[in-house]
Amino acid sequence: MRKLFDIFIYSWVWISTLAVFSTVICLLWFLLSRGLPTFGKELFFGQASVWEAITGQVRVWDALWPACVGTLSLVFLAALMAVPLGISSGIYLACFAENPFKRILSLSVELLAGTPSIIMGLFGFALILFLRNTFFPDANTSLLLAASCLALLILPYLIFTTQAALESLTDEYRLIGPSLGLSQLQTIFHIFLPASGRGILGGVILSLGRAAEDTAVIMLTGVIANAGLPHGLFGKFEALPFRIFYLAAEYQTPAELNSAYGTALVLLCLTGLLYGGALALHKTLEWQWNQH
Amino acid sequence: MLFQGSAVFSALIVLALFGFLVYFTLPLFSEGQFTELFSWHWRPFHGEFGILPMIVGTVLLAISAMLIAYPVGLGICLFIHGLGPTWLVRPVLFLVYGMTGIPTVIYGFVAVFLLVPLLRTTLAHGTGFSLLAASLTLSILVLPTIVLLINTQLQQIVPRLRLTTEALGISRIHELTRISLPSASYGLLAAAILGFGRAVGDTLIALMVAGNAAQIPGTAFDSIRTLTAHIALVVATDSQSTIYHSLFAAGLILFMTTTTVNLLLHQIRRRSSREGQSA
Amino acid sequence: MRSRLLSGLCLAIFLTFFSSLPAVSEELNQFANLQGEIDIAGGTAHIPVMKDAARKIMTQYPHINITVAGGGSGVGIQKVGEGLVGIGNAGRPVSSKELSQYPQMISFPFAVDGVAPIVNPVNKIDNLSSAQIKDIFSGGISNWKDVGGDDAAIHIYSRDEASGTRSVFWKKCLSRGDIVESANIVPSNGAMKIAVSRDHYALGYMSIGHLDETVKAVVLDNVAPTQENAINGLYPVIRKLFMNTNGAPKPLVNAFINYISGADGAASITSHGYIPLK
Repeated sequence: MRKLFDIFIYSWVWISTLAVFSTVICLLWFLLSRGLPTFGKELFFGQASVWEAITGQVRVWDALWPACVGTLSLVFLAALMAVPLGISSGIYLACFAENPFKRILSLSVELLAGTPSIIMGLFGFALILFLRNTFFPDANTSLLLAASCLALLILPYLIFTTQAALESLTDEYRLIGPSLGLSQLQTIFHIFLPASGRGILGGVILSLGRAAEDTAVIMLTGVIANAGLPHGLFGKFEALPFRIFYLAAEYQTPAELNSAYGTALVLLCLTGLLYGGALALHKTLEWQWNQH
Repeated sequence: MLFQGSAVFSALIVLALFGFLVYFTLPLFSEGQFTELFSWHWRPFHGEFGILPMIVGTVLLAISAMLIAYPVGLGICLFIHGLGPTWLVRPVLFLVYGMTGIPTVIYGFVAVFLLVPLLRTTLAHGTGFSLLAASLTLSILVLPTIVLLINTQLQQIVPRLRLTTEALGISRIHELTRISLPSASYGLLAAAILGFGRAVGDTLIALMVAGNAAQIPGTAFDSIRTLTAHIALVVATDSQSTIYHSLFAAGLILFMTTTTVNLLLHQIRRRSSREGQSA
Repeated sequence: MRSRLLSGLCLAIFLTFFSSLPAVSEELNQFANLQGEIDIAGGTAHIPVMKDAARKIMTQYPHINITVAGGGSGVGIQKVGEGLVGIGNAGRPVSSKELSQYPQMISFPFAVDGVAPIVNPVNKIDNLSSAQIKDIFSGGISNWKDVGGDDAAIHIYSRDEASGTRSVFWKKCLSRGDIVESANIVPSNGAMKIAVSRDHYALGYMSIGHLDETVKAVVLDNVAPTQENAINGLYPVIRKLFMNTNGAPKPLVNAFINYISGADGAASITSHGYIPLK
């Protein structure tokens, strides 16, 4: 009886692990085998010459370049808005906030972290309809709107990682400042932040990865399959994850299907790079998924 | 003060989200569209706008994905904590961390081209775009959340116990199933709740592989539509129409579900940390 | 050696000259003094023609930016009515309800298109009566063997409520009959083609312009769904494709509509399998 139980547990444990292992291997193999052969100038720039495409002299058709630029501008803009806000909120929660205020703030950040990304998209979409009816009749879904909604999405990650990085500092660090006669602000800027810099940077990179991969938010806030390079903050744009989503259902030629595999591999490399970087900066990232 | 201001601002965003959703859903109650939306059929051409099938679809999908992912995740945690060979522990952990970096849209993409045709041809039942396909894919997505949460807690418990249990001659399996797991109840519960929250909130996988038919599925091979997919699918800008209101009703229900999930999580986390202090 | 090089050069020059000819077509001249943006959204049958025109115009005049999105006819009409896009495409006329909501809406029909029932090329079925199709879509017939095919369940694919293709098919082929709720929903004509081409037992419906060898159009009541039969009136499930603007079009939008309605547009419409309106 006891023996049977042991066998059952062992086989359950092994089957689970092997199943997940093989699933992920299968997924990677599938993407690599289909995606790698498509890599080349054609995938990124189509018929346009590389230099002319990068400098924006000619338009790029049926290729990845506009989506790459779109995703990079999205991530950059979202980070521009969310990083300062997130880090200073994290500093406040870790160094200044007192209960019960701290509890209320932490709780609302937790709620924000748990909100599905499509809700952020719906919020942005509703915001535009609201603005059109009230203050700005010309407001429209755009790069700026999508980036703002993405900023909402990554804000909780930034706050948690900053807070956790600061709170994990040992007591010695807390004593240095006062013993040198530094003010609290000086302590934060000259001792705490440099000491927890790696952790915070890890959080920032992680949030960039999160912003790069999200599709649900931008779907409702201005991404379009055929927009070309982003034309300013108030224009429509293309993005890598949306291109994958779009081509998976709408490829019209074998060439477009191949381009979809290539796009998927490019996005996977991009997020892999960002997550890998974050992991390398901070070996124990558990708390991010823990929301601590 | 700058820091306080930004923290308060971050917190206010949640209120703004909630306020907006409520503001846009309010006309529902005043114009008596409430019963219209909470009915069982979505047939706009016949003037029926029920979103109950989407609620059922969301719940079914989230629960079935968790039913697959949870045991598998738990199995992986036991593998890491003593039931698997030591040299494989690091690769497995690395794999799980790596999975968190794979974009959702890529899981959906691969499922469309590998899993859906597989289900369609091997099982020869339905189109392949089904509750089953979506829950299998979604279970892969929520798996890392489950593994990492349980793993974090086991890391705190197992090393403390191992020396004692080995000295007492208790087998690994016995130790893990009878002692470690029962004392990791917080991690087990948190993983279940958070995993469920993730599963409910996911849009892309449901949208890409679940088939999007607004119906109550008869079997796992039937197509379903979730609340998230409904929002993504129905782009309505005409603020007078019931279709438009159904968007915000779906959004509000989703938001309230995930908020409840997170409040629950918050509550059990506080209780566990209080117990941790008194112990 | 040298002469071959020379003749190659001549050929190259000739080719460049020749291939650049269409780009300086007179039709494009009307955009010469214009700049700005046009956002286009709506009907998905229109997309190939719109993309084609946008590409030609933007290549010649880089200061003009044209974006093309889908969403379906209903979305196109709503978006242009709310002023969110410059042109809202629709594969059906603007309904009286929509017109009462957006009274300034102006429609510019530019092509005729049919909607054909489609199956996978491996399917034995070539011919269905409209009564059979009605039965299948309402759930009365659920197996291909009941209409003379293999013993396999029929996988029905349909479109969302915003689709003009759906509305035309529903009115003219299904006579406003039921569509089973279990039908899989796809968001565009392009997606319909992919879905049916990948599923051996699929049944769907699609714009005739999108037809190619990856799917098979079903002969409906002994009339093949071809553009010829659509022109001569034999094939009944047809509709016009419209561009809609809210109020009189601005100069750039006006030029775009003129371009689509002109000779260049007509060539592009024909090459994508539609019939230009003339």
